[in-house]
Amino acid sequence: MTDTAIREQFFAARDPFAALAARTAYIDGILRQHWQRMPAGIALVAVGGYGRGEMFPASDVDLLILTPDEKAQAAIGEPLAPVLSALWDEKLRISQSVRTPAECNRIEESNAELAVSLLDRRFLAGDEALFQQIRDPRPELGRNIAKLTHERHAMYQNTLYHLEPNVKDAPGGLRDLQVIRWLAKLGAVASEIPEGVEVLFEIRCFLHYLAGRDDNKLTFGRQDEIAGLLEASSPEEMMRRYYRAVRGIARLARRRLDRFEARRSGLLSRFLDSTARLSTADFSVAHGEVFLRSSAAAGDWNSVMQLFAFMARHGLPLAAATEERLERGPVEPTGPVWTVFRGVLRAPHAAMALRAMHSTGVLESIFPELREIEALVIRDFYHRYTVDEHTLVAIGKVIGLREGQDTPFCDLARETQDFDLLLVALLFHDVGKAGDEESHVHSSRRIGEGALARLGVSERARAVVAFLIEAHLEMSLAMSGRDLDDPLVIHAMAGRTGTVERLKLLTLLTWGDISAVHPEAMTEWRRGLLWKLYTATYAELTRELTDRAHARDVDEWTAAEQNFLEGLPPRYLRVHTREEIQEHVRLEEKSRIGNIAVTLLRRQGWQLTVVGHDKAFLFASIAAAISSFGFNILRAEAFSNAHGTVVDTFAFADPGRALELNPGEMEKLVRTVTRAARGEVSAADLLKRRARVKPDPLALSLARVRFDNQTSTTATLIHLVAQDRPGLLYDVASLISQRGGNIEVVLVDTEARKAIDVFYVTRQGAKLSDDYAAVLCDAMAQLLVPPKG
Amino acid sequence: MKKIEAIVQPFKLNDVKEALKNIGIDGMTVIEVRGHGRQKGHKEVYRGQEYQVDLLPKVKFEMVVPDNRVDEVLDAITNAARTGKIGDGKIFVYEALEAVRIRNGDRGESAV
Repeated sequence: MTDTAIREQFFAARDPFAALAARTAYIDGILRQHWQRMPAGIALVAVGGYGRGEMFPASDVDLLILTPDEKAQAAIGEPLAPVLSALWDEKLRISQSVRTPAECNRIEESNAELAVSLLDRRFLAGDEALFQQIRDPRPELGRNIAKLTHERHAMYQNTLYHLEPNVKDAPGGLRDLQVIRWLAKLGAVASEIPEGVEVLFEIRCFLHYLAGRDDNKLTFGRQDEIAGLLEASSPEEMMRRYYRAVRGIARLARRRLDRFEARRSGLLSRFLDSTARLSTADFSVAHGEVFLRSSAAAGDWNSVMQLFAFMARHGLPLAAATEERLERGPVEPTGPVWTVFRGVLRAPHAAMALRAMHSTGVLESIFPELREIEALVIRDFYHRYTVDEHTLVAIGKVIGLREGQDTPFCDLARETQDFDLLLVALLFHDVGKAGDEESHVHSSRRIGEGALARLGVSERARAVVAFLIEAHLEMSLAMSGRDLDDPLVIHAMAGRTGTVERLKLLTLLTWGDISAVHPEAMTEWRRGLLWKLYTATYAELTRELTDRAHARDVDEWTAAEQNFLEGLPPRYLRVHTREEIQEHVRLEEKSRIGNIAVTLLRRQGWQLTVVGHDKAFLFASIAAAISSFGFNILRAEAFSNAHGTVVDTFAFADPGRALELNPGEMEKLVRTVTRAARGEVSAADLLKRRARVKPDPLALSLARVRFDNQTSTTATLIHLVAQDRPGLLYDVASLISQRGGNIEVVLVDTEARKAIDVFYVTRQGAKLSDDYAAVLCDAMAQLLVPPKG
Repeated sequence: MKKIEAIVQPFKLNDVKEALKNIGIDGMTVIEVRGHGRQKGHKEVYRGQEYQVDLLPKVKFEMVVPDNRVDEVLDAITNAARTGKIGDGKIFVYEALEAVRIRNGDRGESAV
């Protein structure tokens, strides 16, 4: 059959294997014919794809010319040249090497690729005895194959889900199919071929015929053309078939490669073996991989989720066999799904667990909404991955920040509360792209909210996620289209985010979203713009603390409420619900007798609220009372209104569960706080019974106190960043009070064991003088230095 | 032919691109750059700590246009990128000696 006939037949019948075989036979014929002009005593061998008999239309013809010895090599140059020219004239792209059998047999150390190509050798013409002298490479070649494969996958960011994939070299592509076959040969096991791989052969044949050269990149243009030729209903449908096929290949290749790599010796395998002790009744750990012990467990929701929670904690991958077992039998979620899922999100290796949950379909049984974006191709100029892959990359990038040190965003990631909600927002931020609405933002939010409501997620958590999804493009848009030096732009961003907490979450979400567009998307330049937008908005939100709030809709508030709100900053309105504000008003009324009213609530940890008339040492005394019980203050805020009424809220952790287990303790805490606030008991006495904890040596390098007399018109801002320790808040607050300072506003956040405090301080009703503030800061810095010994 | 380089504020990218499109200039290169002119850097404060921002983010447009279109292009860029504040950017014009379209070897103004 001629080359043209092969092509015509392929376009008519679309049988790629027939086309590859026919092309191989066609080239065999040409080569054998020309080889007749060569002298005797040498052999012509087909290697690589040609050796396998899989000649794609524009592939190179890989040839090995064997000579008995090196002397013969020099002698064949002259007769070989006209033969090669003739082959070029036949339009064959010849890629040949001349070697002796001895060279072939020892070559694998220095040139693994040649040794690999010899696995597919096929005798064509000449001296067959020479050909027989080539031995099969040793099984150790498997390690070289593994190394080459990992290097190749890294060039494609280790993902299958490229929007415009290279069908040969990308993970799961045809090269990986060869890896499976090679390793089968080396291990002398039967070679399995995953289902549905024909589509790759068809696509590559079309790519070569359409381009007229060895072009393996399935660009958007080629997707349109080839989907038409394959009679697929749409290019997207063809791509989903493509992704299914490469997923099967990638998984099998990984399994085969793992088997070779498991034979490694030394420290790593000892470490991997040591993880075996982590095994439980439901699953076992072997060679650093997690297996489900029985197929019954694969059908049990709780076992399955325990498995992923375990992965997320320990960072150990799922064994391929277990992955396949889970994929075969989808399980129906039961029980407290959100609580368990949240546990996965909060663990250090959540990204790995989510990826495994996605590839086995378990994530989609929790959130069927996500099926819509599975292997979904949305074409645009910038994105390089399918929507689901973009989502998982973004989640991985944001989680990776928590381990990093190189950018200030790493600090943000560690300090942020609600990190798990950020991950949920990322999971849903683009889910609306599957719909046909013009902007995906609203539909993503709607779908995300619906999914969380179904799982019984709290209203507060849902609101955070909804906000993040709804606003997920706004920081990127501001970065590229707004003047970040314009105070109005920053004011608008502060209004949109409302609180520093939400600003941090949105900044991280934006960072992850941009970073996951393609590997080079988060340039230094963009990082700079995002950081500038973050810091400017942060400054604006902090500045607002001494602004007066404007109750948004005056009619909505009662006279008593309006009176109470007078003089409180906008943040107060943003962080408290209407019900909380009404509760504060009630407390204020109560505090008129006895000066102080205290409530203790259990709400995402414990929360203590004190309302009363401001006086010196008030804040410090409450902090001391809470610390004296051994509770860790996580966050604290103190605001005062125009009438001198203060609202101090403290969120704290109770690591010993004292309050939960002894209801009497709650009453005792409220009583102690009340007495401390009234000055009936000295804060210093309270804290005597707490042992001092020896701080981390890092504390010294971390500690920082600065004052700022520019930002606020009415108060001096004191910023403090330090390693947190019990009693720190009391020490700092009481120092300010001792020096005659009045604490107007406080924001304290101690995420990641780091205290980040902002105090707005006045003295005799005015800002501190620069000199006075400097002395105060020095004294505060002394408090942060770890005590000797 | 002249080569025009315009360094403008990042947020003016789309405005400048639109303005050039409106006068029929489609071919251009846009580069993310950082630098400073007489504006120098400035100090920013975050959590009470001051730090110096030396290099400010800008975008650079590059294009080659026939001599008779230079003034029009300069006006379009200037009007689109101006806010009246320090840091609006600069435009430089150079002599371009030759242009070659690689695909077919066209030369001169027909290649730009």
